[in-house]
This record gives sequence, structure tokens and C-alpha cells, in this order.
Amino acid sequence: MSLHTALVKIEEKKISSEEAKKFILSQKNGAEAIFIGRVRNKNKEKEVTAVTYDAHDQAVLKSFQIICQNAKNQFDKNAKIFLEHAKGYVPVGEISILIAVGSEHRDEAFKICRYVLEEVKHQSPIWKKEHYIDGKEEWLPGHSLRPKQKVN
Amino acid sequence: MEIQLKLYGASKILSDKDILNIELPNNSNIEKLRNVLDKIISEKHSKSDLKNLPKTAAFFSEKDVVVNDAYKLKNRELISIIPPIGGG
Repeated sequence: MSLHTALVKIEEKKISSEEAKKFILSQKNGAEAIFIGRVRNKNKEKEVTAVTYDAHDQAVLKSFQIICQNAKNQFDKNAKIFLEHAKGYVPVGEISILIAVGSEHRDEAFKICRYVLEEVKHQSPIWKKEHYIDGKEEWLPGHSLRPKQKVN
Repeated sequence: MEIQLKLYGASKILSDKDILNIELPNNSNIEKLRNVLDKIISEKHSKSDLKNLPKTAAFFSEKDVVVNDAYKLKNRELISIIPPIGGG
């Protein structure tokens, strides 16, 4: 098995870097790249306490599979990829996304990691609501998936 | 006719429930749904940040694929509204 993708309900389970490292470990691979995204405590001068992630579960899981498969096809068909994204209420400091890649060489490992992250941000239907220290909250703007209109 | 709009992300401001029932003229398409949403937002949610949502949202059919503006809606169809995304 060379792919692991999941949307993790954070109230039920935490995203684990140890689990990711174990998954990508292989004697065939000389390189491992791991990206960990965490909820940070400030955004545009506002003090953030947590982020709630909403997701269209089925479409997200489908997009994760397509993105990882495309990454393998493009960079290294033998790469092992672990991708998990949080869903639900994630306090500051906790992991929101983890991408781990095991590949024969470092260049492919770095490229796959970066590719998967950028594609998730542009393809996977996931939304963020920030919670602030003053009790207010706000859905963040993002990338539109509306199909481009044909111009006559 | 009536459709069921499954709400995600910022569009959840439109209702306390996950699904919003929307009345539409018969034979409506996604473009008509955008117009009706625009009206609902200007009348009931003018103070929210949803002003651009009817223009920027995509819509998924029950098969979880994006449908274009010409897509004909069926009575009681479940459609998901997909506001601009931004995970990570």
C-alpha cells in the first residue's frame, strides 16, 4: 500500500506524525519529507484561539486520492504518501494537516510534499472558521471552484 | 419547485440547519439559483460577509461533481453549495 489519505475528526483522534513516519518507512527510499501545518495564534493582527474546519467529506477524500495519484505519476510512481487533514474544532498549536512522503531521492520527496499541499488548498472542499480571543469568529475567504464561464 | 441546498463553510450563516429548502420557479437552473440566493442574502443577511457568495460559489450535484450554470434542477434535488475553499 503506497497511499494513505484521511479526513480526521479531531474530537475522535489526533493526527500523528509517528503514524505517518511509520507508514512511509521503506528500505527502497532514501528520502523522507514531512510537512506539518498547525493552527497559529495570529492572523492579520487578530489573536486566534482555534480554527474550525468544515469539509465536504466525500469530495475531499476523492480529491485526496486524485492529488496523491497525480503526484506519484508526475514525480515518482514508487513514492509512499501519507496525507491527513483535520475536521472539526482545532485549538492553536494542534496539527491541521500532515503530509509525509517517502521517495527514492530528496528532490522528488520535496516536490511531492509541496505539490500535494498546494493542490489540497486549491482542489479539496475544506473551509476554515477562525475563532478569536474576543469571542468573535469568521469564515476565511478562499479559492473559488466555480467553473469558468465561456466567453462568446 | 423546491430544492434542498446542503450548506458548507460560510454558507452555514444562511441557516441553523445543515440544509436550506429553497423555492424556485419550475425548470430552474443553477444560474436561477444564484439569483434567488442573491435575493435571500440581500433581504435577510445583508450585514454578513456573504454578498459575493452567489457569484463565487460552485455547486455539486448529488454525485459530488461540479455542475455548471446551465444545469437543470429537479424538484426536491439535493444540491451542495461550495463556497470558495481554503484548507491546510
